[in-house]
Amino acid sequence: MSKAARARRRADRIREKHENDLPRSMRPNAMVKTITVVILVVALIYFLFPIYWAIIACTKTPSQLTGSNGLWFAVGLADLPDAIADNYTTLLGWTRGNFWRWVLNSLLYSGISALIGTVVSVMAGYATAKFAFRGRGLAMAVIMGCMLMPASLLTIPQYSIFHALHLTNTMLAIIIPCSVSPFGFFLGRVYAQTSVPDELIEAARIDGAGEARIFFTIVLRLLAPAMVTIFLFMFVQTWNNFLLPLMMISSDELKPVTLGLYGMVSLSTFNDRGALMMGALLGVLPVIVLFLGLQRYWQAGLAAGAVKG
Amino acid sequence: MVSNRKRFMAGLATISALCIALAGCGGESSGGDAASDGPIEITYMHRLPDSDGMVLVNDIVARWNEEHPDIHVTATKFDGNAADMKQKLERDVKSGNAPDLAQMGYSEIPEVYVKDMLMDVTEYASQYEDDFASGPYSLMQVDGKTFGLPQDTGPLVYFYNKAEFDSLGISVPQTKDELIAAAKTAAAQGKYIMSYQADEVGNMFSGLAGASGGWYSVEDGEWVVDTETAGSAAVADVYQQLLDAGAATTNPRWDPSFDASLQDGSLIGTIAAAWEAPLFIDSSGGTGSGDWQVAQIGDWFENDGKTGPDGGSGVVVLKGCEHPAEAMEFLDWFNTQVADLVSQGLVVAASTEPATTPDSWAEFFGGQDVMAEFATANENMGDFTYMPGYSAVDAAMKETAAKAVDGSATVADIFSVAQTTSVDALKNLNLPVKE
Amino acid sequence: MTATTHSAKAAKAGAGRRAAKPGRSNATKRANRYGWAFMAPFAILFVFVFILPIIWAIYSSFFRQVATGGGAYGGGELVNQFVGVENFIYVITSQDFWAGVGRVVVYTVIQVPIMIIIALVLAMIIDSLVVKHIGGFRLGYFLPYAIPGMVASIIWVYLYNGQISPLVKGLAALGVNVDFFNDNIILGSMANITTWTFTGYNMIIFLAALQAIPHDLYEAARIDGANGWQIATKIKLPNVRSAALLAMLLSIVGTIQLFNEPQIMQTSDPGISKSYTPMMMAMNTSQGTITPSGDGPANAIAIVMALIAGILAMIYAFAERKVNQE
Repeated sequence: MSKAARARRRADRIREKHENDLPRSMRPNAMVKTITVVILVVALIYFLFPIYWAIIACTKTPSQLTGSNGLWFAVGLADLPDAIADNYTTLLGWTRGNFWRWVLNSLLYSGISALIGTVVSVMAGYATAKFAFRGRGLAMAVIMGCMLMPASLLTIPQYSIFHALHLTNTMLAIIIPCSVSPFGFFLGRVYAQTSVPDELIEAARIDGAGEARIFFTIVLRLLAPAMVTIFLFMFVQTWNNFLLPLMMISSDELKPVTLGLYGMVSLSTFNDRGALMMGALLGVLPVIVLFLGLQRYWQAGLAAGAVKG
Repeated sequence: MVSNRKRFMAGLATISALCIALAGCGGESSGGDAASDGPIEITYMHRLPDSDGMVLVNDIVARWNEEHPDIHVTATKFDGNAADMKQKLERDVKSGNAPDLAQMGYSEIPEVYVKDMLMDVTEYASQYEDDFASGPYSLMQVDGKTFGLPQDTGPLVYFYNKAEFDSLGISVPQTKDELIAAAKTAAAQGKYIMSYQADEVGNMFSGLAGASGGWYSVEDGEWVVDTETAGSAAVADVYQQLLDAGAATTNPRWDPSFDASLQDGSLIGTIAAAWEAPLFIDSSGGTGSGDWQVAQIGDWFENDGKTGPDGGSGVVVLKGCEHPAEAMEFLDWFNTQVADLVSQGLVVAASTEPATTPDSWAEFFGGQDVMAEFATANENMGDFTYMPGYSAVDAAMKETAAKAVDGSATVADIFSVAQTTSVDALKNLNLPVKE
Repeated sequence: MTATTHSAKAAKAGAGRRAAKPGRSNATKRANRYGWAFMAPFAILFVFVFILPIIWAIYSSFFRQVATGGGAYGGGELVNQFVGVENFIYVITSQDFWAGVGRVVVYTVIQVPIMIIIALVLAMIIDSLVVKHIGGFRLGYFLPYAIPGMVASIIWVYLYNGQISPLVKGLAALGVNVDFFNDNIILGSMANITTWTFTGYNMIIFLAALQAIPHDLYEAARIDGANGWQIATKIKLPNVRSAALLAMLLSIVGTIQLFNEPQIMQTSDPGISKSYTPMMMAMNTSQGTITPSGDGPANAIAIVMALIAGILAMIYAFAERKVNQE
């Protein structure tokens, strides 16, 4: 609570400072202000309404979904906990009690692959930004070209290769493919170009620091906010992937949560849509928490990358 | 304290998950190295609903494992649709790590047979033949060989709300003309006694047309394709008249709008597959509960009192299975656990014991013994053989069917598209077609 | 480290720089060695996850699975038969394929600019600090990005549904009957899902770019007597242009692979064909719901589509460079 209060106070201070920065002529007049508020609020309603609806929907039975007012709960507030509990039970029933297990799996897959992916992307980005090695142009052209290849179609050949390596139906079958991202590499390169000054590296070299030490002690620190951005980007991508696990994973214990939800929807006979919405919302929570928790870092990272994008 | 313990548990779960992952490296199924004294390992992949309130597949299997220490079965539920599962199994079979047993729709069996995914278990199957109805059993046979045992069936029947029918002064029509007249009478009152389901035509229309005669047959090793049979023409005629008169609903079956048409009481009669019963009850949300009845479909499509199949599936033995005899022994046992399978919403193919109508179904269908009605339909079902590559035909039919709703195609077009797609699909597989 | 070695090394480095020739070759060597050393982990993973599968895909696109065993069921066996460029001929002459490409192009041309403009406008409003307490707005706009594309599509399909959606019901009550699945509207309905999911994400990128603009630029503009509008168009817009162009390129790549939205909407509208977009056509071909089926034809579709995407991206990059030169 005190933390939130402190943050708010800090925000206010910054805003005040900015407002004082603005010349009188630029201070918004009442009409401009009203219009902008209206635009912002309308946009907010647009972005949040589907989520609001999903929250309402996750308390409803299939017949209440079609039969009751879509904007509000179908049962009285007093009965709401029961309705939620019912759908929660349905959800656990559909997922055979594995729901939280799958959420944990998703966290593992996304966390580990994003971690590996971030480090290798930043290393490769740094390499192409700061070293004029032979084959650099070709390597970059190939990697950037792969951004155009529909990743989902590569899933099938990936399965063949991973099977040849006896890696299908293991955690590695998800973690390895998800820890390579051409876009991650691209961001890594842009960040290394913009936020690592050549002079600094040169100075470190003159001081006798080895290349590895320069990278791990100096460069990584400079790239920290950028790395958070890459990490989050890759985390979300892995979290949302369901085609890859669909092919690679057959054990219940290894499934990520999206695959489980996909399993619910893809049965044509499925109609417990309220329970599905609950699963979707609960499954998204960890991602939202992560974004909120790391907000300060990824915004700084985006700033670093966006300028020279 | 609490948070510490939670963190510890999470850590533990992480570690154990990693251990499983590492142990899973060898992922291979069917205990190749099940030494002489260990139990035989059988793996079984299914896509039964396994949802809340049902007897779970794993529980049924656990009972088998308890009674049969020498044959250990592991069941896996596939979390995807039938097409996804078929594709995954195809790869698994090719790479040699497929499960021993897998659920497969009857319409898919010829296709997966052509793809070399099935094991010929004719020699083991015949001893179990008497445990199953003959129609579904024959659907497990392709090219003169048997590949597994049937699990459930989907004879087409007619669901209708008797109270609504009575108040409209109509009864279940017996002939095509009666059907259309009754539908118009009902439509004039804002009620519908038939539904046109574009997303189900591949199963339902082939079944309805098939009641009077199949589409696909083999003569001298060549395919004879005729999807524009007299039965097909009759189906097209009836539905076209209904659509033109606005006397049928046009909501896709698996869209919420179908549920809504039941819930607001406007849809009071529809052709449905037998396995739809529990889903139908769900869809209705209780509207008209106790007033609904099941009847055999009338002689509406020149079907001469017969009905056709809509869906249903069996369990096949896949290539690479090392213990087909034991796999079949388990399969026969599993597919005859009638009460448990009924709880999964299946109309079982087993004929070992009569399936009793679950209480919730009886309640919805006015105390009727609907299982008996389904059994009658089952016995009354025409033979329908599917061809390899039917999935493409099914998809093409659906797409055309959706166009017929807004008038940019006719219902008859569905069957002509089926004809061209069928021939194309066979030719693309390099299979001979008699023109 | 003592001062002597320190200065000795510095001297050495200085000497190296002065003696240009050997120094450059040393530097080249070092660049090669360390460049590849830092590249290696990514490169190895990349080969496994992208290069090998792509080679496999290209290879298999010259094959088709056919029955050769004779009889009605081909002896119950399919063999991979080399068919040359037959799969590619099939793709290039397929009306369905080009119809799908057409839809994707129309979709891209309409959806991407709208999304980028909305994101830009929102970012500039938030950055202008006209309104207080922007944190909530910023988070609210961004939230949809956290929702998996598949789930987002499902939510919207329900919101388009006449029986479930309070939206459709509300409009109907006002006398406006909208059918979001109508043939003329459906592409727009899909575009809305993409826009909803990714606008906030793009907005955050633009916002970051805007906030990185040094404040002395505004100072200077103010001294020159610029008003708010001028500052927005003359300083802010040019400074986010590169970010906008990048976002545009990425969005184009994304929409070309359009799959989730039509695939999920198909459950409510069977009229959406299996080949509605090239990606759907490829997936359905590999699953056997489109004939000819199998990996060969599916990979051929993917390869042709990747080439088309490459050409479009090159045209875009070229146009961008032209614009930048002016």
